[in-house]
Amino acid sequence: MRHYLIAGVLVIVLAVATYAGLMAIHLMPVEASAQSIPIDHLWNIEIAIISFLFALIIVPLVYSLFVFRRKKGDTSDGEHIEGNTTLEVTWTVIPLITVLVLAYMGTYTLGEVLAVDPSALVINVTARQWSWEFDYTEGFSSKELHLPVNRQVVLDMQSTDVIHSFFVPQFRMKQDVLPGRITTYRVTPILIGTYEVECAQLCGTSHSYMTAPVIVSSEADYDAWIQKQVAAAAAAAQTPLGRGQQLVAENGCTSCHSIDGSSTGIAPTWKGLYMSQVKLSGGTNVAPGTVVTANEAYLTESIVNPSAKIVDGFQDNVMPKTFGTALTQSQISDIVTYIESLK
Amino acid sequence: MEETSLLEHTNKSDVLLQGVIVFVFLAALTALEFFVAIAVGSVVLLAMIAFVKVGLVLYYYMHIYRLNAQDDALDRHSYQYKLTTSRMGLWLFLLSDAFIFGGLFVSRFNLLGLTALPLSSDSQYIALTITSVLLLSSFFMNRAEVSMEHGDRQGFILGISITIALGLIFLAGVIFVEWPSAISIGVTPASNAAGAIFFIMTGMHAFHVLTGVIFLSIVLRNGSRGLYSPEKHWAVESATTYWHFVDVVWLFFYPALYLIGKLVS
Amino acid sequence: MKKFMTSALIRGLLWQLIGWMAGALFVTGIRVLMGLNPFVTGQYFFTEPAWVFGGLVGAVSYVVSTGAVTDWFKWAKGEETPEHREDPPGWDKYLNVSLDHKVIGVQYTVTALFLLCVGGLFAMIFRTELAHSGLQFLTLQEYNTFMSLHGIVMIIGILIGVAGMMNYLAPLLVGAQDMAFPRLNAFSYWIAPPAVVLLLSTLVFGGFDTGWTGYPPLSERAPLGMQMFFLGVAVAGWSSILGGLNLIVTVLRMRTKGMTAFRMPIFIWAAIATSLISSTATQLIGLSFQMVMFQRLFGMGFFDSDKGGNPILFQHLFWFYSHPAVYVFVLPGLGIISELVPVFVRKPLFGYRFVAMSSLGIALVGFLVWAHHMFVSGMNPYLRIPFMFSTLLVAVPTGVKFFSWLATIWKGKIELPTPMLFVVGGIVVFLLGGLSGPPNATVATDLHLQNTYWIVGHFHDTMFGGYIFPFFASIYYWFPKVTGRRMNETLGKIHFWIMTPSFLTLTLLMMRVGLLGMRRRVADYDPALGFDNYHLIMTIAGYLIGIAVLIFLYNLVVSIKNGETATGNVWNSRSPEWLIPSPLPAHNYEQPFEVVGEPYDYGVPGSAYVRFEDTKSARD
Repeated sequence: MRHYLIAGVLVIVLAVATYAGLMAIHLMPVEASAQSIPIDHLWNIEIAIISFLFALIIVPLVYSLFVFRRKKGDTSDGEHIEGNTTLEVTWTVIPLITVLVLAYMGTYTLGEVLAVDPSALVINVTARQWSWEFDYTEGFSSKELHLPVNRQVVLDMQSTDVIHSFFVPQFRMKQDVLPGRITTYRVTPILIGTYEVECAQLCGTSHSYMTAPVIVSSEADYDAWIQKQVAAAAAAAQTPLGRGQQLVAENGCTSCHSIDGSSTGIAPTWKGLYMSQVKLSGGTNVAPGTVVTANEAYLTESIVNPSAKIVDGFQDNVMPKTFGTALTQSQISDIVTYIESLK
Repeated sequence: MEETSLLEHTNKSDVLLQGVIVFVFLAALTALEFFVAIAVGSVVLLAMIAFVKVGLVLYYYMHIYRLNAQDDALDRHSYQYKLTTSRMGLWLFLLSDAFIFGGLFVSRFNLLGLTALPLSSDSQYIALTITSVLLLSSFFMNRAEVSMEHGDRQGFILGISITIALGLIFLAGVIFVEWPSAISIGVTPASNAAGAIFFIMTGMHAFHVLTGVIFLSIVLRNGSRGLYSPEKHWAVESATTYWHFVDVVWLFFYPALYLIGKLVS
Repeated sequence: MKKFMTSALIRGLLWQLIGWMAGALFVTGIRVLMGLNPFVTGQYFFTEPAWVFGGLVGAVSYVVSTGAVTDWFKWAKGEETPEHREDPPGWDKYLNVSLDHKVIGVQYTVTALFLLCVGGLFAMIFRTELAHSGLQFLTLQEYNTFMSLHGIVMIIGILIGVAGMMNYLAPLLVGAQDMAFPRLNAFSYWIAPPAVVLLLSTLVFGGFDTGWTGYPPLSERAPLGMQMFFLGVAVAGWSSILGGLNLIVTVLRMRTKGMTAFRMPIFIWAAIATSLISSTATQLIGLSFQMVMFQRLFGMGFFDSDKGGNPILFQHLFWFYSHPAVYVFVLPGLGIISELVPVFVRKPLFGYRFVAMSSLGIALVGFLVWAHHMFVSGMNPYLRIPFMFSTLLVAVPTGVKFFSWLATIWKGKIELPTPMLFVVGGIVVFLLGGLSGPPNATVATDLHLQNTYWIVGHFHDTMFGGYIFPFFASIYYWFPKVTGRRMNETLGKIHFWIMTPSFLTLTLLMMRVGLLGMRRRVADYDPALGFDNYHLIMTIAGYLIGIAVLIFLYNLVVSIKNGETATGNVWNSRSPEWLIPSPLPAHNYEQPFEVVGEPYDYGVPGSAYVRFEDTKSARD
C-alpha cells in the first residue's frame, strides 16, 4: 500500500511539473490567426493529457527500478501474478473513452477552424518550383502576400508543377498545393506583423528556399498598398520592358535565373547574358562544346524549348517546357527585352 | 484422413458432372452480367453477380475448404500434413497477390469513377469472347485436376493441354486483338489516365496468365512423364489453384473494365 | 579470403553487374532495331528504359547465380532434391545459400546491421550539414539524396532486421525444426542484397530528391536514381512479403505438441501480427512505385493531372502500406520487450491475453488509418474525420502494452543487465513516441504539425523505442545462443548510457524546433529563426549515437571470438531454446518437446513450460 501511495503522489507531482514546464517554455510560436486559437486550445488540452500519461507511466517504471531491484544473492522469483481482468478491462476502456472524447474534440475544433465567412477576401496563389505568386483580384500579382488584419481571406491555390504546401507557422495551418486542382486555405489574421510562408512539402532541389513574406497590416495600410500596386502595374504595362519584368515575376523565372549575377546552381544568371558567348554541353542536334552567341533568337529558343541548347554546367529537364504555349509571341519578346536590359 | 477426403474420393463422373454444372452456372451468370450491363446498368447488380461467380470458383474449382483440414493427428512429416501446409502458403500468396489487383481495381474507380472506359464497341465483343475463353479454360483445368485425382493420366494431359491452348488464345486476344483495337481509336498507355488504367489492368492480368501458362506447361511436361500420382500431385493442384485465381481476378476486372457505365448513357 | 571471394554473396554481385549490363544492352539493341535513340549523350550513356530493365535482370541474375533457386529449377525439371541440406562447418556458410533458419536469421541480422550503419552514416552526413544554417559542404541535390536514402535504407534495414529476428527466433520458440518453406526462406533473404545494391546505386544515377515517399509529380521529374529506388524497394518488398507468408504458415502448422494459441510465446503473437501486414499490404507500395515507374517509362498518366490522373491516388496507395509498415517495424520490437521483461523481473507477463490481442489489434486497426498522413493533402476533407477516429483508436492497444509492462515490472525482482537496460530504454523512448502521437491524429493540431520536425522527432522515437532499442536488447540477449559466448557487459552498458541520453536530446530538440515551425526535409534554414544552436546540439547528439554504435560493433565483433563462454541458460529463462546448450545444433531440438504449462509462470515453484520427450520414443 505504501508503494502505491508514494508512487501516486509522485505521479501527480511529475504530471503537474511536466505540464507547467512545457507551458513555461512556450512550445508554439505566436498566435497570428483566429484559427490558431482553437487549435492551441486543443493542443493545450492534449499537452495536459500527455503530461499526465507521461507521469503515470514513467513514475511506476523508475520507482520500480529503484525500489524493486533484486538484492544481491537473491535467486527467488517475484510474486506470481498472471493478471487481473478488472484492471485490464479498466485500462482498455478508460483510454478508449479518452480517445473517443479526444476525437470528438478534434472534430469540433476542426469545425471551428474551417468556419466560413461568406464575405471573405479571395486571393489566388500560384506555387511553382520554387516560388510563390499571389494574384490579387485588383489585377496585379505580387511576390509578397499582403493581408488585412481581422478579415477572413480565402487563398485559392494551385501549383504549376509538383506538390507544394502552404505553411505559415504563426497561422498554425498548412495545406498542400496541387497541380491541376485548386485547394483552399482559409485564414483570418489577427495580429499585425511580418511572417513567412514556407513550402512544407518536399518539392525538389531548392525546396528549402521556397519562402515568401506574409505581411499582415491594418485595413488602411492594406488598402494603400493595393492602390500603389495597381498604379505601378498600370505604369509598367505601358512598356515592353515593364511588361517583361511583370511576366518574369508572374512566371517565377528568377527563382532559378538570378538577375544580379549570383549563382543559384540551377540555371544560368541573366545578368550580362545578352550577346555574351555561351558554351554548350549538348542539346537537340548540338555537339558538346559548341559556343553560341546569346542573341535574341537564342534567348527566344531557350524559353520555348529549354532542351534545344544546354548551357555547360547545367542539367537538362530542369526548366518547364510549357512556356512556348503558355506565353504569346509578344509576351516572349517582352521577356527577351527585359533580359536584354540586364547588362 | 477419412474426414478430409469426403469430397475427394467421390465417384469420378459425379465430380466431372459437378464441374460441368458449375461451368454452366458461370456461363449463364456471365450472360446475365452482360445483359444487366446493357439493360439495367446497375453497378450493385454487377458486383453481386461477380461475387457469386467468384464464390462458385473459389469453392468448386479452387476447393478453398481444403484449407480447413483437421489433421492434428497426422504425422508432421507425412505428405498429407505437408500438403495442407503448402496449401496455406499458396493461398497466402494468392491473398498477397490479390492486393496488387485490389490496388489496381481501386485505382480504376478513383481515377474514372463509375464512368466507362473510352473503348469501342468492338472491344465489347473481343472482351466477351476472351472472357468466355478464360472461363472455358478454368472448366478444362478442373477436368484435368479431377482426372489426375482419379489416376486418369490421359484425361489429365488432354485437359491441361486444352487449358494451355485456351490460355494462349486469351493472351493473344488481349495482346494482338484487344490492345491494337484500343490503340486504333486512340486509347494508348500514354493517352490519358483511362488508357493507362486499361493497359496496366489488362497488362498485369495478362502477365499473370503468362506465368500461369508457363507453370501449366511445366506441370504438363512432368505429368506426361508420370511424375504425379493420384496421391501425390501438389504441383498439379497448385498450378490449378493459381490458374483459377487468375480467372477470379478477371471475373472482377471484366465488369470493371468493360461493363460498368458502358451501355447505359 | 578465397572462401570469401568465391562465396554466393560475391558471385551474386558479379552476376548482378553482368546481368545489369546485359539487360541494358538488350533494351538498347531493341531501341536500335526500332529506330529509337539508343544512347543519351552527356548523361548515363544508356537510356532510362535500358537501365531499368537492366536493373531488373541484374537482380534476377544475382538470385539465380547464388543458387537460391536451384532446387526449384530442379523440381521444374522433375528432379528430386534432398529434404534437408547440411551446411558445411565454418563461417562461410553465412555467405552462401543455406536452408537453415538460424543461418538465414544471422544473415538477415548482419545485413540489417550493415544497412542500419549505412543509413546512420547518411544521417551523419546531412546532420553535419544542418549543424549550421547556410550550405556548408553539400549541394541541395546531394542533401536531398542523402536525406532520402537515409529514410529508405533505414526502412529496408529495419525490415530485414525484423526478418532476422523472426527467422532466428520463431521456429525455436514454437519448437519447429525449421521454417515451413526453407527454400522460400533462403530465396526471401537472397533477393535482399540485390535490392540493397539497387538502392545504393541511386548515388551514381544522380540521386533522387523526393524523400523516401517518392510523391509524384516530383518523382516523375527526379533523376534516373529515382527508378533505381523504385526498383530496389519493389525487390526488397518481395523479401518482406514472402518472409511474412512463411512465418504465418510456420506458426500455424509447425507448433509443437501442446502449444495452444494462448501458450505461444508472446513474441510469436507479435510476429504473426507483423507478418499479416507485411505479406499483404507490401504489395501496395510495390504497385504505387511501379505505377510511377511506368508513368516515367511509358507516359502512363496515373498521377499526371494533365492526363486526368490524380496525384493523391498515389498517396493513398503508398500510405496503405507505408503506414502499417511502421507497425511491421515496431510490433516485433514490442514483442521482444514483452518477451524479455518477465525474464528479468522474474514475474509472469501481466495480462498475457490482452497483450497478445493488442498486437493483433494494432495490426488490424493499422490497416484503417493510412490517410492520417494526408490530412493536408487536399483529399476529400470529410474523410479526415473517420481517419482521425481510427488513428486515435491505435492508442488503446498500445496503452494496454504499456500498462501490462508496468504491472509486470511492479513488485518484481528486477535485474538490469544490458538486454534489460535496452528494454527499459525502449519503453521510455517508445513512450515519448507514443505520447507525441495523438496531436498528430487530431486533424486541427496536425494542420500545424504535419511535415515539421515535430513529426521527425515523433517518428524517430517510435522507431528507436519500438525497434532499435529492442533490436539491441535481443542481440545482447540471444548472442550467447548464436555463438556460445556473451557480449561484454561493461561495453554494453557504456553503449546504452551514451546512446540513450543523446537520442532523447536529439528527438526532443527535433520536436522543439518542429513546433516552432521548422519544416522537415530542408537542407537549409533561415538563421533568423534562431535554430542554429538547437541544430548544433542535435548534430553533436547524433555523433554520440554514432560513437555508441561503434562501441556496440566493436563489442559484437570481439565477443564472437573472445567473449566469456556461455553455453547454458544465461538468463535463467523458461523459454525452450535456453533449456538446451548453445550454440544450437543444425536441426534445433534433438528431442522434441511438449508444452505443458504457461510460458511465463515465474514464481510458481516446480512449474515448467515445456517438457522434452525421450530421445527414442518421440522421434519418428
